[in-house]
Amino acid sequence: MTDNSVRVCAVTDLADGSALTVSPETTGWNDTIAVFRDAGNFYALDDTCTHEESSLSEGWIEDGAVECAAHQSRFDLATGAVSCLPATRAACPHRVEVRDGAVWLWAGVAPGTSGA
Amino acid sequence: MADHVLVIGAGLAGVSTCGALRAAGHDGRLTLIGAEPGPPYDRPPLSKAFLTAQTDDAAIALQPPSWYADQEIDLLTGTPVAGIDAESGRVQLADGTGLTADVMVLATGGTARQMPGIPHKHAGVHLLRTRADAIRLRAALGPGTRLLVIGAGLIGAEVTASATVIGCRVTLVDPNATPLAAVIGPHAAEALRLQHLRHGVRLVHGTCTALEPAANGPLRATLSTGEVIDVDHVLVGIGIRPDTALAETAGLAVDNGILVDERQRTASPRVYAVGDAARTLGPGGPLPRTEHWDNARRTAELAARAILGLTPPPPKAPWFWTDRYGTHLEMTGHYDPLAQEIIRGDLTGEDGGTLVYHRDGLCVGAVTLDRPLDIRAIQRIIDRGRRPTAAQLADPAVELRDLAR
Repeated sequence: MTDNSVRVCAVTDLADGSALTVSPETTGWNDTIAVFRDAGNFYALDDTCTHEESSLSEGWIEDGAVECAAHQSRFDLATGAVSCLPATRAACPHRVEVRDGAVWLWAGVAPGTSGA
Repeated sequence: MADHVLVIGAGLAGVSTCGALRAAGHDGRLTLIGAEPGPPYDRPPLSKAFLTAQTDDAAIALQPPSWYADQEIDLLTGTPVAGIDAESGRVQLADGTGLTADVMVLATGGTARQMPGIPHKHAGVHLLRTRADAIRLRAALGPGTRLLVIGAGLIGAEVTASATVIGCRVTLVDPNATPLAAVIGPHAAEALRLQHLRHGVRLVHGTCTALEPAANGPLRATLSTGEVIDVDHVLVGIGIRPDTALAETAGLAVDNGILVDERQRTASPRVYAVGDAARTLGPGGPLPRTEHWDNARRTAELAARAILGLTPPPPKAPWFWTDRYGTHLEMTGHYDPLAQEIIRGDLTGEDGGTLVYHRDGLCVGAVTLDRPLDIRAIQRIIDRGRRPTAAQLADPAVELRDLAR
């Protein structure tokens, strides 16, 4: 691949209902990015909860959403939309895809688009 | 169908009621009235990051300023309400004007309790409930400030921890030998007590029996232990009393809270009550009133759905948290002295630990230090009526989230 994608891990490295993080050094993005696996699907959001400093990768992942470990703010994994206070701002979503048994991440590219 | 819903009180319960009404499809008029000036804000940071000046006004806003317009909510702040008439739906504002609503939601919250015998008008004596209180307290605290905190509940203990960050010298008095033991269980409470000691706080088992202002100097406090100490400032953190005055003017039933049914309805079909000010009537009488953040959010959703004639959301085990000395405590369900206590991890260890309260084959509650996902799991185990065995709960190889599925 010649674009700005980053290989995150093998599909088998990320158990369902769990997440891992990719550092800004790896992606060139301004926040750590959390990559989630929920019900067989992969998603990526900015890792820092928009409410207070807390890692979304450490949250509770279920039903297409992640609930922040600190104060239960809930974010839609696909869109980053917030559905539960105390957070009020959406988390930035990123494009993620599975290719050849590996999870690839396009930092800063909206999900469902082909990117720059 | 309610055309105009008017919410009185612009704290978390009031703002959440508005959000839940719009989310559930209310397309009529919606008015939110708050007595305090300024945009609605979140109270938990007032005793923590806001007090230590690590966060500011914008960061504690409950919603961004544009949200109210986006949601078509008429927000009136700095607008005390003088009285309501449940029959006509008339709301009398303190400035003499009035509004009429089809439905009123009382989200009036509470007021910090004053302590008899304490000179509350003295400049060195503080309460902490509002943003203005926090700004005043923040200005009073600096390195070396001698602070007496009366009450080691959530507010008192959090202010104590924040004050140590600022560099104050804190004496904390509480009538319980191990504060919060009845709420979170004795072992978790002991872990919190030891945190105070480790951070150089003087924890006194007792109360403040007299506080005498000196003309231009410190305050002189006499404690029930007989000890006399000079301090620069005093915070009284002994809880709140619910603001029920408006409900009383409307002739609604009040008993340490505005009495409501399980869907937040008062006896008047036009009036609902939510949050700290509301108290649910159970089959055997009024239930204990709940003052937690999550309860404000949940009762708001219950009321919104009841107003719109929708089914109530499924019940959820209660939940609260407290942050102090860099650690995060959470509790769900309740502490039951007759329950078996199951330990996961190490409460006083680096990575934290969780105590699960297990009785008659059911999880009734759990408390954690720094393992919030354990609480997410236990909350779901309770909500879903799962029945994990004590052996499973005690086994570190068993993931709690698997028991919640």
